[in-house]
Amino acid sequence: MNAAARQTDMVTLNVIDSTMVAICREMGIVLMKTSYSTIFNEGLDFTCAIADPDGEMLAVADYCPAQIGGMPVVIKASVKELAVEDMQPGDVIVHNDPYRGGLHTPEHTFFQPIFVDGELMGYAVAIGHVSETGGSVPGGFASEATEIFHEGLRVPPVKIKRAGKDVDDVWKLLLANVRTPRQNYGDYRALISSVDLGQARIADLITKYGKATFRQACRDLLDYSEDRMRAELSAFPDGKYSFDDFMEDDGIVDQRFHIRVDCFVQDDEIIVDFSRSDKQAHGAINATLGVTWSASFNAILHLTDPAIPKNSGCFRPIKVLAPGGTMVNVDYPAPEVGGNTETHPRIAYTVIGALAQAVPDRAPATDAGTHCNFLFGGNDPRSGEYYVCYDFLSAGWGGRPFADGNNAVNCINGNCRMIPTEVFEVRYPWLVEEFALVPDSGGAGKYRGGLGVTKRFVCRDAPITVSHMGDRHKTAPWGLHGGREARTAELRIMRAGTKEWLSAVEDAGKISPSKFAGLTVQPGDRISLTTGGGGGWGAPSERDAGSIDEDLREGWVTADAVRGDYGRAGAEGDD
Amino acid sequence: MRFADGGYYIEEYVKCANCGVLIYDGGIPVAPGSQDVVCSDWCREWKSQRAAGSDHPVLPLPRS
Repeated sequence: MNAAARQTDMVTLNVIDSTMVAICREMGIVLMKTSYSTIFNEGLDFTCAIADPDGEMLAVADYCPAQIGGMPVVIKASVKELAVEDMQPGDVIVHNDPYRGGLHTPEHTFFQPIFVDGELMGYAVAIGHVSETGGSVPGGFASEATEIFHEGLRVPPVKIKRAGKDVDDVWKLLLANVRTPRQNYGDYRALISSVDLGQARIADLITKYGKATFRQACRDLLDYSEDRMRAELSAFPDGKYSFDDFMEDDGIVDQRFHIRVDCFVQDDEIIVDFSRSDKQAHGAINATLGVTWSASFNAILHLTDPAIPKNSGCFRPIKVLAPGGTMVNVDYPAPEVGGNTETHPRIAYTVIGALAQAVPDRAPATDAGTHCNFLFGGNDPRSGEYYVCYDFLSAGWGGRPFADGNNAVNCINGNCRMIPTEVFEVRYPWLVEEFALVPDSGGAGKYRGGLGVTKRFVCRDAPITVSHMGDRHKTAPWGLHGGREARTAELRIMRAGTKEWLSAVEDAGKISPSKFAGLTVQPGDRISLTTGGGGGWGAPSERDAGSIDEDLREGWVTADAVRGDYGRAGAEGDD
Repeated sequence: MRFADGGYYIEEYVKCANCGVLIYDGGIPVAPGSQDVVCSDWCREWKSQRAAGSDHPVLPLPRS
């Protein structure tokens, strides 16, 4: 559609769009401020959005990108199953089923219909990563799962509130199946508060402008975003661009699992075809269709104008092909919990790696490609209550065509914050001994990759059950256009009374150093978690001397690395 | 998607043989008599061209 065909004037369109985005942000603030778990109130691992009655996304807040592109899949699947005629004002639906549009088991979607004068006008949606889902280990990430049932309770779209009243049976069923019912109760209430607010605010907005104007504005807004995206994609040269990357193992079998993409650019559209990818894995690294959509859209959003309004319209010129039974579209009942955190960045950067051939001046090198998910739980002797925490670390981002990669930022699908040390120590029985950037972890290049971080902590006073879901412990994040690889990630354990740092393979005979579940840590045992850096962009020989000097001054690179990577003296007078 | 009587559980997850989306309404057979179904004419045509050996089909997406 061209601009002349739109019926809403640009001022009204902009005001309605901006208001909806502001409402989504406010929904997120409510969720942050009222939730119980650190993954919500510190990590901000959630996204809030508005959908139309068909499940198309109208607006979204800029929280967790893992959930943005997948949101329409979740809502559309739910709307297909729920009888719209049975919807009432005050209903709230909960859903986390990975095989029906969900992203992974912990990702719980809550949504509420928006009625104005008895007419369904859309949905207020909050998707959040609930830190405890039941299953075989605390924290939801059953990294050695071989079927979905190890990962916790699977919830099809059901009403948790009906006409404003709690559906007690659903609440009891949900809370009977998790280790931390009080915390989950608080987080579910926070998610409901978020959609309550979204529903009320959007209803006010519709009342202000009138239903007809609002509906037309939404149609025009989706068309406008589509037009903007098509204009961007038309700058990509037509052609077929391919790339291949892999997960280093699945926690069950020590073998690589490949994601292969062919991106077909045709005029102002892209077909993102994953048909050549490996069959689904035995372990929990499979991606759901929602994850693969989200990762593909996420990649393309990183290569196009960030000012395009984020709604379903901007995804229309992009078609994702992800056949069932593969790494990128898991079939029931295979496990998938790591797909949304670890495989999403691999999928996204596989697409970026392919399209870097088409638009080299837009594409960054890969980020560290792991969230270093660290899950733990146990009985806290101070309160006598069982606790569970989902912790993760930020990592290095890849060098860009115009700048170095960022240090210590959550990977491409996260945009989440690390738990502050003070909160970590108060809420959980750990003592943090070190938390620092890792020098030399970014890949060398004309534009250097960003640095990863390391966090070392000791178990204080009671046994803790820990699990880890990561990747890139064996294979390094790649550079682009002559940029070098970055350093890998690592998790090490030092048992009390010993002096040796061991991997989980060495300490406990696990198959994978990056994916294991249910390890018991005793008081005095130490954990060291390290994330990788981002790959470098462009040849190191092209890096300007001033930037190398600054890196040295800041302690981001060592003199040895400067000599090795850039072929020059590491410090003044050092020749 | 094939649901059990009463809709209490799913008996079969039906996915498009080309793009992988869930199909709730029966879908379109990939070919006459085929058990495999696709979600749209576009997916059927794309799959057909790829199966016929086309390395790079150019097939505009349907406009809404």
